[in-house]
Amino acid sequence: MGKYSSWDFKKRDHDAKVNMNGDASVQVDKRRGRICEHADICKGYLDDQFNQIEELQDEVSPNFVEEVVALFFKDSSRLLANIERVLEKYPRDFSRLDSLMYQLIGSVSSIGALRMKNECTSFRDHCSDGNLEGCKRSFQKVKREYTTLKQKLEKYFQWLRQAGPVEQATNSRK
Amino acid sequence: MDGSTCKVLLVEDNEINRVVVRRLLGELNVRIEEADNGKAAVDFIREGRAYDLILMDKEMPIMDGHEATRQMRSLGVSTPIVALSGNSLQSDRDLFIQAGADDFLSKPLSRGKLAHILAKYGLNHGD
Repeated sequence: MGKYSSWDFKKRDHDAKVNMNGDASVQVDKRRGRICEHADICKGYLDDQFNQIEELQDEVSPNFVEEVVALFFKDSSRLLANIERVLEKYPRDFSRLDSLMYQLIGSVSSIGALRMKNECTSFRDHCSDGNLEGCKRSFQKVKREYTTLKQKLEKYFQWLRQAGPVEQATNSRK
Repeated sequence: MDGSTCKVLLVEDNEINRVVVRRLLGELNVRIEEADNGKAAVDFIREGRAYDLILMDKEMPIMDGHEATRQMRSLGVSTPIVALSGNSLQSDRDLFIQAGADDFLSKPLSRGKLAHILAKYGLNHGD
């Protein structure tokens, strides 16, 4: 995903408006990188749990959000691959499917991925009902949400990288 | 030397949750040890390790939270055990309480939830 430049936290600047490649300006809290609270990119996709993770990032752990997100994608891709395999080889093993999806929900919840969590929950409901077709449909939605979330978070980190140099430019005008 | 901060055992198989809770407890100035399954946690107890609070996840490989809680109680552990679960179903809570847990928290954990549970059990988080 690439590292974004860490900020000078001693400066503790006020929020700066950042214009991102012609998109609407986004207010960025430089001290905590709470870009998602202010940007439409996250609306509906990430809930307050993600804000909590952002709040844990500081000068001691300047890449905390990125580390957590990287872990999430590593864990999720593994679980999605496992679920796909079970759906192919043991499609009626609803207990196993449910267990795998429960693990995925755990990871999804921990970063606040609201929409993906809802689709995962729907999948588990189909498992409870023994509804294989429902599981398959739901799983496709889970994968779509995963892909969308990945794109949005990649954009999030892109914005953060762009925000870094802007702060230095702002300071030089003082 | 800091002897006043409490020590918590986090028993949780999900690495993301461990990373986030580790950070949250660090901010609350709490020392933390981690086990990624129930058996590892029980082994810590058998080794003589002591904690002020145990956070116990439900579903884990090798040994789940219910069984780990039961085994800890049978070993004479009186430390408060707080069950963690992604569900907040009453049946989930009841099963954990029957196994010997003292309390229940639904995941995901937040700073507020952790601060509350530490305060509830009179644990000094080093403010």
